[in-house]
Amino acid sequence: MVTKSKLKMALVAEKGTDFKKLNQKKRQKAARKEKSTKSGGTAEKEWESMDEASDGEDGAPVNGEEADSGNEEEVDEPMEIDFARLDESDSDSSAGENDQDNSDNEDDEDIPVSDLEDLNDEEREDLIPHQRLSINNTVALTAALKRIALPIAKMSFSEHQTVTTAEPVTIADVSDDLNRELAFYAQALSAVKEARKQFKSEGVPFTRPTDYFAEMVKADEHMVKIKAKLVDEAASKKASTDARKQRDLKKFGKQVQVAKLQERQKETKQTMEKIKVLKRKRQGGDNEATNEAEMFDVELENETSGSKPSRKDRMGPNKRAKKDEKFGHGGKKRFSKSGDAQSSSDLRGFSSKKMKGVVKQRPGKARRAGGKR
Amino acid sequence: MASVYKSLSKTSGYKEEEVPANGVKKNKQRVLILSSRGITYRHRHLLNDLASLLPHSKKDAKLDTKSKLYQLNELAELYNCNNVFFFEARKGKDLYLWMSKAPNGPTVKMHMQNLHTMEELHFTGNCLKGSRPILSFDASFDSASHLRVLKELFLHIFGVPKGARRAKPFIDHIMAFTLADGKIWIRNYQISETEASKITNISSEPSDPPKVKGKSDKGKETEVSLVEIGPRFVLTPIVIQEGSFGGPIIYENKEFVSPNQVRSDVRLKKAGKYNARAESGIERLAKRGELGLRTSGGRTLPKDALDTGELFA
Repeated sequence: MVTKSKLKMALVAEKGTDFKKLNQKKRQKAARKEKSTKSGGTAEKEWESMDEASDGEDGAPVNGEEADSGNEEEVDEPMEIDFARLDESDSDSSAGENDQDNSDNEDDEDIPVSDLEDLNDEEREDLIPHQRLSINNTVALTAALKRIALPIAKMSFSEHQTVTTAEPVTIADVSDDLNRELAFYAQALSAVKEARKQFKSEGVPFTRPTDYFAEMVKADEHMVKIKAKLVDEAASKKASTDARKQRDLKKFGKQVQVAKLQERQKETKQTMEKIKVLKRKRQGGDNEATNEAEMFDVELENETSGSKPSRKDRMGPNKRAKKDEKFGHGGKKRFSKSGDAQSSSDLRGFSSKKMKGVVKQRPGKARRAGGKR
Repeated sequence: MASVYKSLSKTSGYKEEEVPANGVKKNKQRVLILSSRGITYRHRHLLNDLASLLPHSKKDAKLDTKSKLYQLNELAELYNCNNVFFFEARKGKDLYLWMSKAPNGPTVKMHMQNLHTMEELHFTGNCLKGSRPILSFDASFDSASHLRVLKELFLHIFGVPKGARRAKPFIDHIMAFTLADGKIWIRNYQISETEASKITNISSEPSDPPKVKGKSDKGKETEVSLVEIGPRFVLTPIVIQEGSFGGPIIYENKEFVSPNQVRSDVRLKKAGKYNARAESGIERLAKRGELGLRTSGGRTLPKDALDTGELFA
């Protein structure tokens, strides 16, 4: 416990505080607190007030000095308040400008690990012990900074080329990639605009002329690789969209086919109807033919001429009439095929030669010669 | 003769540097870039990328030791460098970045995460090798003293001083340092300028030849857009030392959790899962034993007249 700064030690010596006594008192208090928590049912506020009361009791009889009791209060405040302050020390707000002050604060705030052993397990679980003491020596830091700092204010902008944003960049969620990168981009872009203004006012060349060639950070092969990658990516994207389209087509292919067939049928039906209408008109009046020719396309005319002629249009006698003539229609049918006097006297098909049997005609001289050969 | 001339001219040049015209100290920075042993190829590529972006740097061979880092001071002196940029690899996976002002500090140790090299990022941006970048800082760098120190170190190491030997004229890229979530995010963009809205130009003066157009362009601002070049990485500051690779620690980040801790936690969690499962298995067995449902061990149920064994014996 006797690890305090010189100044404080001197103060303590003057006051004549006994460290052992203090320590003992602390132990007592801790024990009492434990008891109170174990007895249960006591609310936080209750034992807080109890502590305060006990403070008054303790402070008065042991040492009459007011200053000491004040000091005590700081030590003996309920633990929770101490934790709150500990948390505060995480942020650098408590780091004082005065070195001496700083060390004093640390003595009060940071609880050594040895002290924590007195606590019971439940309490210890809640507490995150900071074994490492926070170090933030502001004085030394500013001294170091002063030692190395460049006199930016005196230098021209083209010497240092640094731009600091007017307001701190705030990023709500660091793991949100898009917004984070956007914030960085915005910061850089504003800096560029600011810097360009400065350069222009100082007359420093900013833009690289198009005919200035020099070695680049990324070599040409590297850039070719990047380009190839970009092309690859675009190609793969296109391929994937094509594949998706194909898949969709396959899904609806059947429906599409049926629809197409129906459409085709419908088309043919329509053309046929048109033709029919045309024909009817033509039959109705020849005087309108010239107008029709004008009205309808030449193709349609060709179509009509190309199609098969209908039965009524066919030339020649009717088949029925012929058949009637041949087989008879109405009248006597009996003996119609038997011979009569007229037919027996008809000698048109008679030939005596045929009666004698088949006689082969002798072939001519030239034929005979050809046959020999 | 030549050597005499050289020495003479050198001394005169030196004097000129001592007392510049406006009485302000000149910004002279040289950076020693190197790594420890045991870095992976990605770390090495990142180091190369950064070296190519910093024309005022000197790359050196890997440092053999990880414990005696003060040797870096001597190395820096050897190479006339006043900044050291050192990659320390641990366990072949964790990368720590040390940045130091060589002779007498301060030194910053940072943990590097989410690093991506230029090659693997496939960004279309490109810039001149050795052109001087604009450095863009988040305003929150001025909010605390340790951040101010960090900013100054970034300015010295990533800012290419005017008149650096291999530096090229014209400004065509920008490095952005942003503070978010207690970490420093670093991005590198190309500044691409496109002529502002040609359409309006054409519509306003359609008859005139390009001569007039060029004139108007000179007066007009070109539109600026950024294309990322890479690399990308995130830094978590851990410790600031007063000296260069030594001296008292003047800042320590309490929020930093070392990757070893994270890994061990994950492992413990996994182990805990198994333990819980095993425990619950034993408990279940005990419970079944208690109910007399186990064939061997545990409590045996008293024989009942209505047991199936008794009824259908």
